[in-house]
Amino acid sequence: MERYVCTGCSLLCDDIIVSSDGIYIDQVIGACLKGKERFDLVNSENRILNPLVRQNNILEKASWDLALDKTTELLKNAKNPLLYGFSTTSCEAQLRGLELASDINGFIDSNSSICQGKVLNETINAGITFSTITEIINKADLIILWGCNAAESIPRLLNKTLYSRGKFRITGREIKTLIIIDPVKNASFNTMGVRDIPLIIKPGKDLELIKALKENCCATEGTPPEGVAGLDKEDMRRLLQQLGGAEYGVIFVGQGLLTPLENSNLITELLELVNIINSKQQKGRISVMMMGGHYNMVGFDHVALSMYGKNGAIQFKDNHFTNTDDTLITKIQNEDFDCSLFIGTDPISHLPFSLSSKLVKKPIILIDNHKNASYEFANIVLPTAITGIECDGLAYRLDHIPIEVKKIINPPNKIPTDADLLTQIIQKIKSNR
Amino acid sequence: MRTYLHKSFKKLSQTGDPKIKFLLNTVRLMENDQTKEYGLGDIDSLEEKLALTFLNPNDYESINPSKKPNLKISSKYGEVVVKVVEDENVHEGTILMPISIWSNQLTGVKGTKLIYKNISVDLEATEQKLDDFKSILKKIRGA
Repeated sequence: MERYVCTGCSLLCDDIIVSSDGIYIDQVIGACLKGKERFDLVNSENRILNPLVRQNNILEKASWDLALDKTTELLKNAKNPLLYGFSTTSCEAQLRGLELASDINGFIDSNSSICQGKVLNETINAGITFSTITEIINKADLIILWGCNAAESIPRLLNKTLYSRGKFRITGREIKTLIIIDPVKNASFNTMGVRDIPLIIKPGKDLELIKALKENCCATEGTPPEGVAGLDKEDMRRLLQQLGGAEYGVIFVGQGLLTPLENSNLITELLELVNIINSKQQKGRISVMMMGGHYNMVGFDHVALSMYGKNGAIQFKDNHFTNTDDTLITKIQNEDFDCSLFIGTDPISHLPFSLSSKLVKKPIILIDNHKNASYEFANIVLPTAITGIECDGLAYRLDHIPIEVKKIINPPNKIPTDADLLTQIIQKIKSNR
Repeated sequence: MRTYLHKSFKKLSQTGDPKIKFLLNTVRLMENDQTKEYGLGDIDSLEEKLALTFLNPNDYESINPSKKPNLKISSKYGEVVVKVVEDENVHEGTILMPISIWSNQLTGVKGTKLIYKNISVDLEATEQKLDDFKSILKKIRGA
């Protein structure tokens, strides 16, 4: 039995006990449902075990040589390729992805650009008070879930941060307050105790609430009698009391706060609110943490930032980085691509119809370990090993801490890792020039 | 508590306008997770877990449908037919859908931003069969 890191979500729990002989996994102890599902993928019926090439509109099993030749041909002939995904791969694969994009003059982006990357972009102007999971465990007395359902998206987050006992929080859960701000009484509400504060706001009224908090920061006098955003005066009083009185508070931000508005940006408003609170506080502080779900979504931001000073939407021209205002959305919307390569993602399922229907018009190369909706449209499918189970790699936790994930067993059919496969494609493209 | 409704809707005949405006929010749920279904399930489980919407029981009553097993949801971005799950935790006037290829028939792009939350939708009880996975793929392919 040995301890491993789970790659089921961005929390990258490093306390998973796995019993294995190096060939099979016998037992996994301590993983949540999501983690368990990740391990179950190893022997899933939907696992892709061989390369596939579409011929006569049917995906047919192909040799690695044929599949790689077809991939190279497609990418080499493409004038404007689009590379997307990279949040469920290792940093090593992300680096290879950027290298490939540079070699073929492509546009590359990760899932982060439509998720937590949006927060990172806003921090350039507004700044951010950040925190780590360890700090939260040791110091936090206030945990706020705003527009996110931690119990279902990152299942052990509350176990680690709310129910834990830290250096300065020896009494654990008893001394910590949980506030949930959400229009939906989601599963996270079930974790709430007597001293916690459930705040069910009216849908789409987050901005109204943030603005009211900014105006009345640390004082309840300004709260109108009818309340704000569906919260009554007593709710507002308790919320302001907690925000102003916490020694160490953290706001976890979910997709609910990433919704675009006409003339405002919710994230900027929230970051400004946190700055106001922190400047008024004598001894306490509030920090903000993004809730990206994929296990290495943060990794791409770091790898891309360190290479090109930009965390996503990177365009290459003449094999060099070039500034562009294009985003993944504009590229697809304007059909400004002639083929796409998806790695560890399923944009046909997770993008709106207006975009997915445009993606399928151009050839698709899919690199993944299991079938999905994008598989149904792919021209070439290349299977890879499951990182953190069948291969090593570096990943960044949701609090931007790098963590090494380890290999437990060999992948079936000698399937390559994402990084190795991308390296092979790069070499093949270079040798064919 | 969520209850999968197999019974027929009631009172549709009493309503003047069968279409009612709601706000759609797409959400990530552990029990209705597309990654899990693609990875470990099959087409039946995919449709069972994802081709659905959660609706407040009071709204369910006010829609007044009768003998119509499914719900046609239309937004300015598209439409989809799914089944209904009654959930008292859903705000009245809103519906929830798990993030999936079904919910993404209703989401869209505004300018350069993706719209996944607070989408205005019309609901209409229908006898049409729900849009199965293959028909959604066909729709995407054919657009």
